[in-house]
Amino acid sequence: MIRNDNKQTTVVECEQLTKVYRKLCASRSKDVCALQRISLSVAEGQIVGLIGPNGAGKSTLLNLMAGLIFPTEGRVSVCGHPARSIKARSGLGYMPEHPAFLGRYSAWATLRYHGALLGLSRQGISVQIDKLTEQLQMDEYIDRPCSDFSQGMKQRLALAIALMNDPRFLLLDEPSNGLDPIGIIQLRDLLKKLRDKGTSIVISSHRLGELEKLTNDYIFLYRGQVVSFGDKIAAGHLGRLRVELVSNGNQIAKKLLPPAILLSASETELVIAVGEDDEVPDIVSSLAKGGARITSVLLQREDIEDVFLRLYKERN
Amino acid sequence: MRAYELMKETFFRKMYIYIAHLIWFAVYGLFLTLEPEEDSFYWIFFVWGGFFLPLTLSAGIFGDDMSSGRICVLATRPFWLGELYIYRLLGLSIQGALHFVLAGGLLLIIHRFTGVGNIDDLGAWLFSCWLLFNTWAAVSTSLSVVVKRAYNFVFLLAAFLFLGLLNSMLSWNNPDDTMTKVINAFVKYVCPPFDMLTKMAKGEYAKYSLIVGKYSAIKAVACVTHTFVLTVFYGILGVLVLSRRQFTCSQE
Repeated sequence: MIRNDNKQTTVVECEQLTKVYRKLCASRSKDVCALQRISLSVAEGQIVGLIGPNGAGKSTLLNLMAGLIFPTEGRVSVCGHPARSIKARSGLGYMPEHPAFLGRYSAWATLRYHGALLGLSRQGISVQIDKLTEQLQMDEYIDRPCSDFSQGMKQRLALAIALMNDPRFLLLDEPSNGLDPIGIIQLRDLLKKLRDKGTSIVISSHRLGELEKLTNDYIFLYRGQVVSFGDKIAAGHLGRLRVELVSNGNQIAKKLLPPAILLSASETELVIAVGEDDEVPDIVSSLAKGGARITSVLLQREDIEDVFLRLYKERN
Repeated sequence: MRAYELMKETFFRKMYIYIAHLIWFAVYGLFLTLEPEEDSFYWIFFVWGGFFLPLTLSAGIFGDDMSSGRICVLATRPFWLGELYIYRLLGLSIQGALHFVLAGGLLLIIHRFTGVGNIDDLGAWLFSCWLLFNTWAAVSTSLSVVVKRAYNFVFLLAAFLFLGLLNSMLSWNNPDDTMTKVINAFVKYVCPPFDMLTKMAKGEYAKYSLIVGKYSAIKAVACVTHTFVLTVFYGILGVLVLSRRQFTCSQE
């Protein structure tokens, strides 16, 4: 269970969310349980990375948050209103993994169409289109029909559509698909700006390196369940301090180190879990004072990719 | 703005919309040259324009959005999903009205210059065609909410042929049987009213009261009301299904 325990306003709240896909006229044994009793919340101005292997239930969770599907059990609220309600949708921006547009419409006509669906005035639509065209650098192809668009152009347009209503809550499914490196950097900067303005963002992505540059908050889904991150990863925080000794490693470890932080010990090597960097000098100095003859010290930090792989391997 | 954009979308969403209209006009022209003086010309006009055209124009009106995943963005917009249905159906209805006005205009021009064709009762036939168009457009649009484009047209055509044949066979063999009467009543009152609108256009209800020209005003109002109620009924079914439907964003 991932909980947002800080005092910030909660924008999205999922409680005991279960989703079972049932096939029409099929027996219960063929039911697919995509999500099992998931509870989580997303605070105002928080970016959350939704990660997990294929089939973990990421898309199902996104669809539930967007109100596109109904939960079998539990409830989802967005901005304090049940997902799929008009009030919830008024604060929502959604970008699907494979954006699709009317091929004969230009990017400008597509944005105008979505502005109209949002109930914006003519002037409001023009202002939003001008702003987003500039922010997402779409000037060059704003009048071209969408059928001519490359994947990157489609992604930018889909993001512009999602941002048309200045949403409080943004759901992005693989937003950097097809973007060039410049586009990825621009996207990252834009998302950071949105976060600073208080927009909550949930991003489902397989580009873990990209996610890492945006957030430390992750939801790792595996077979429909949230794998608790808080104590296990805190990506970017958990470090492994590898200390090489001349001898007596086991003995020194038993005497000086609490078992909770001792990851492994041998005669010539100790691996110690470290939180913050400033813990390292204290540990090394206590080991030296305890008689350890240290030959080398190496601090290794797991990145989100390592964590992903570790958690995945643990569960397979 | 929303209503305008949703109605406009039905005109511009696919290139084949224009091509369909052109093909339909060409076929009217073909029938005109083949059987210019016969009553059957209007009947073909009725079936081709009032039945096949709405099925063609509305095929995939929701199904395309669902298979491309576009519906996932539309369904996250803050308005009642029924509006999406209603304005699209209205867009189709306007498209149908323009089609029949244009077709009627072309017929008049051809008749004026060549003398080919029979333009008696043209207005009544075009109006009946449009009423039938609306009813079938509502049926097809509602079906489009649940089935893919490829099945939309075929399913309705098969159902139409099956019911028509069944009704004819039963009426021929066992006209007094209860089942025959039930199916007959179903075809007459629940299915889009081919027979009723044809009779109205032909002026066969002239025996009833309040005669205007060759038409009975009371019967015409009853026919129009019945067709309108059926269109609304099919529309409500579509709106209900759309409101309760779940959408997934995977592309097919």
